[in-house]
Amino acid sequence: MTAIADPARPRRKIGKTDPIQKLAILIGVSLFAAAILAPVIVPFDPLGQSLLSRLRPPLGFERYSAGHFAGTDELGRDVLSRSLYGLRLTLGLAFAGALIGLLIGGTLGLVAGLRRGWVEDTIMALVDMQIAIPFTLVALLILSLMGSDLTVLVLVLGIAGWEQYARIVRAEVRRLTTLPFIEAAWTAGAGPIYTAWRHVLPNLVSPLVVQFTLALSNIVILESTLSFLGLGVQPPQPSLGSMVGLGRDYMPTAPWIVLVPAALIVALTFSVQIFGDWLRDRADVRLRDR
Amino acid sequence: MIAYLARISVKSVVTLFAIVTVTFIATRLSGNPIDTFLGDGLTAEGRAELIRYFQLDGTLWQQYVAFLRGVVSGEFGLSFVDRRPVTQVVGERLWASGQLLLASVTLTILVAIPLGILAAIYRKSWIGSAVMTVAFAGYAVPSFILAILMVLVFSYWLNWLPVVGNGSFLHFIMPTIAMSGVLVAALTRFTRNAMLDVLGQDFIRTARAKGLSEARVVLRHGLGNAGVTVISVIGLQVAGLAAAGSVVVESIFSWPGIGQLLVNAALIRDYPVLQFGVITVAVAVVAINALTDVAYALADPRIRLARS
Amino acid sequence: MFRLMLTTALAALPLYASAQEITVGAANVSSYLDPGRDHSNVGSQFYYNSFDTLIDRDHSKLDPEWTPALATSWELIEPTVMELKLREGVTFHNGEEMTADDVVFSLNRMMQATFPPYVVRAKDRLANFPKAEKVDDYTVRIHAAREEPLWETLISLQQVMIIPEDYTKALTGDPDVAEDSDYEAFALAPVGTGPYRVAEFQPGEKLVWERFDDFWGEQAPLRRVNVVQISETASRMTALRTGEADIITNIAPDQLSLIERDPELKTAGSATALFHVMIMNQNHPKLEDPRIRQAMSLAIDRDALNEALWLGKAVVPSTHTMAEMGALHQPDLVTFEYDPERARALLDEAGYDGFEITFDTASSYYTNGLLAAQAITQMWADGGLNGKVVVSDTWTGGSPDLMARNWSNPMYFADPFGSFGVMWAPEGPSQSEGRFNTDEAYADSWERFRYSTDVETRKAAYRELMERVKEDPAVLPLYRPFESWGMKKSIDWAPMPGHIPYVLDFRAGNITVAGS
Repeated sequence: MTAIADPARPRRKIGKTDPIQKLAILIGVSLFAAAILAPVIVPFDPLGQSLLSRLRPPLGFERYSAGHFAGTDELGRDVLSRSLYGLRLTLGLAFAGALIGLLIGGTLGLVAGLRRGWVEDTIMALVDMQIAIPFTLVALLILSLMGSDLTVLVLVLGIAGWEQYARIVRAEVRRLTTLPFIEAAWTAGAGPIYTAWRHVLPNLVSPLVVQFTLALSNIVILESTLSFLGLGVQPPQPSLGSMVGLGRDYMPTAPWIVLVPAALIVALTFSVQIFGDWLRDRADVRLRDR
Repeated sequence: MIAYLARISVKSVVTLFAIVTVTFIATRLSGNPIDTFLGDGLTAEGRAELIRYFQLDGTLWQQYVAFLRGVVSGEFGLSFVDRRPVTQVVGERLWASGQLLLASVTLTILVAIPLGILAAIYRKSWIGSAVMTVAFAGYAVPSFILAILMVLVFSYWLNWLPVVGNGSFLHFIMPTIAMSGVLVAALTRFTRNAMLDVLGQDFIRTARAKGLSEARVVLRHGLGNAGVTVISVIGLQVAGLAAAGSVVVESIFSWPGIGQLLVNAALIRDYPVLQFGVITVAVAVVAINALTDVAYALADPRIRLARS
Repeated sequence: MFRLMLTTALAALPLYASAQEITVGAANVSSYLDPGRDHSNVGSQFYYNSFDTLIDRDHSKLDPEWTPALATSWELIEPTVMELKLREGVTFHNGEEMTADDVVFSLNRMMQATFPPYVVRAKDRLANFPKAEKVDDYTVRIHAAREEPLWETLISLQQVMIIPEDYTKALTGDPDVAEDSDYEAFALAPVGTGPYRVAEFQPGEKLVWERFDDFWGEQAPLRRVNVVQISETASRMTALRTGEADIITNIAPDQLSLIERDPELKTAGSATALFHVMIMNQNHPKLEDPRIRQAMSLAIDRDALNEALWLGKAVVPSTHTMAEMGALHQPDLVTFEYDPERARALLDEAGYDGFEITFDTASSYYTNGLLAAQAITQMWADGGLNGKVVVSDTWTGGSPDLMARNWSNPMYFADPFGSFGVMWAPEGPSQSEGRFNTDEAYADSWERFRYSTDVETRKAAYRELMERVKEDPAVLPLYRPFESWGMKKSIDWAPMPGHIPYVLDFRAGNITVAGS
């Protein structure tokens, strides 16, 4: 979950999209669409219980209950509807987390890049510390202590990856501030905020978009793991991870409760990662070497 | 070099102190053991008795001072749950976690390095892309999913492998694989890259020009040069990464390790166990990082200079 | 073939048992073992094999039939003084002989408790007993402050099982003084007089019993019992199926079919002498009107919960009563029922504006607890109440913000005092935590219920208490959960009706393993 520096992504020719990438992007787009449209397309209320038709198997098995294509769970709720809502929540949380990370990391990186000296040293020391600690463990401890509500969860997901943004932004800012046109702007009397807005930000968009996408899949994994362990999203609210976690007791008798959300998690992380990689290849060659 | 080591040591100690203090404050402010695991069915007097019993009646500052005194004199206290010394409680668990970690890192190295080399040699053929696609997929499967899928198939359906504890060799199979999945993916890519860098250098070209076989070039000259330092540095990084995954895997396989102990101690606010456990893990992590820094520096004097 | 191979390989390990050795896969293993300090459902599993009380009972029978144990005879020499003759030639697991000193020490460590965890237990059930005293080496007297209707019942509690004095005092510090640290040490190295000695104990993980050859009664049928903690239900079932465990505990009805389908396995179960209950906070500002709490109760279809979650095997009570309570069992009394119409009417009367009512539950502590919580809030929704499940492993019963949550009221001993009484006494835990109020009239009824020596008076007083709970509800017993144990067909064991919940009784006559 803590990504270690990985300069060895498969190097593909820029501009060419291979079949695996196409497939992944197709899956990714469908998953996003399903998550957004969940309230419209799900066949059942994800929280609606039916105590008399609990643990019914998916279509094609004995005791199938009509309409519940992916079966029902331990309270007779529709597994497919819950999974799609879970996907929606998982993606929503991941976006919120990645945005918070971007905000924190971006700001700190910008500050570190523009203001040298002890400010930069302190921020970079924090970055080093964040890289060093096994963050999953820290997240688990925070949630065990604070209790799991959505606000705490989103904040934890947010601080999970801020240091990557900070490094990217700081490096970029440092590179840009040595360039002649920025120095020209300084001497022309432009303030630091104006400089940052006018000259630095535009150059940061593409590396940050790539980092954002890569972070998304890490956050999906982190959120699912936390929810799986019962420390993330709390029932009856479904998230993919909590469905897998709570369904474990029923695995020997009703594996579909676990398999459907598990498959969605893997499909999601796989497609988002391939997509991020594809973006990285296209967006900026320089990034690869970092 | 001495100045460099001194700086790393100071940094490590400061980091440790910060971690310990934050843990102390966070645990005390977020609840107490009486309400979290003993509360049920207590009278008011009983509650007061227990607060005295666990020495929770001082102010936060008094408790903190007492705690620091304990740390300095090596007294870390007794677990609130079973009243055993926390050093013993954590010690037992550390060994179990260590075994699993060692098994996973070994498996990872045995699998990932050959795969990485293979991918580097055959970078232009389908073998290379196949290896890299699999490595890519490894990143996408969270360890808990890998673990429960194995449990479903090999334990629930086939009844082949045990799922609880660390009693025998068979108990190691699934947890080790579950922990190694992500690590193999990471290390394969890393190795491939390191090999590609080395293979691009002049002396390799010279070796090839001399008419040595490709295998000999790769294994003797490539691996020899990419090898030792890179692998040791990576090994340390991998260990750090594995520490994070261990909580999940330990929980699924009821592995009596430190990850499970910590999360449980946090849930029931067993302060002494949590504090000592966090100190132990923090020391391990900080030590791994310091060693990695030193290893880098030894391998490449430029880093040492650049950082100072 | 592979499976066969593995089995052969595993047979070499001590995992696989000879006929006289079994392994129990338990959902929980205690973090300490001290019968005095403990009243948990986890601990109750373990004490009866290693410890004895002065007076025991025939556990195969629902109605109490007192039998001699460490005391061979007992009589009331005054209305408030019981004199007991002790069995001679009883040895503790460490070889010490049991005398009156050990008995007096064991009783007084509870009755005159100074060690905080003992104080807690002593106050809620042993408050009527100021002391025990030695008459001679094999005679002791127990004093009661007031006339006691439940002498034998209370002298046969787990909390007053007998432990050795010298051994305990010598564990730490001054060997002649009982320090708190002695009791802490005892809980990790317990010694009793029962048929199995604790040979190995790893808190929260593992407990090993070995047959105690010098046991005063009939020899234990098993040479060795390993109890290992396997928290996950699915893992426990796998352990049973792979042969890692011979008996497993705490199987929910949902999972029974999987075991019963296996020709080599079977299950044994019973509706446990314990209620899963819903508690409600009488003092929450929004719930002060009892009509709202009545509606919260009336809207819950407990029979539907039983059918769906327990496959109809649990027992839904009409009031806080169980068959184990013998003469005081009052099944004809109806104080809790399902009536959604009336719930709606009460809500209208009370002017309920649809505010959110939280229902707290731990994630996995009670079997089916989380499911029941979710089903209950759904039933509330159908009855016009806006409920929300809050999952937290923190005990919220003492919080002023508590609205409702699940809990269990176990039967600590076979009397309504041992179930309802312990938890809902005036100044008891529920009132101390600020979610339950009592007044003089309640205290007066409680006095008669607790101390009257006339059974009819006690029954009438208990009815008064139940009526009070109905009018101003603070608790709703949901059901007696149906707990099952899975085991190999070669093992003959079942929970016994005369025990408190969850006791793993492996004494002679209570378990047989084919081939032993």
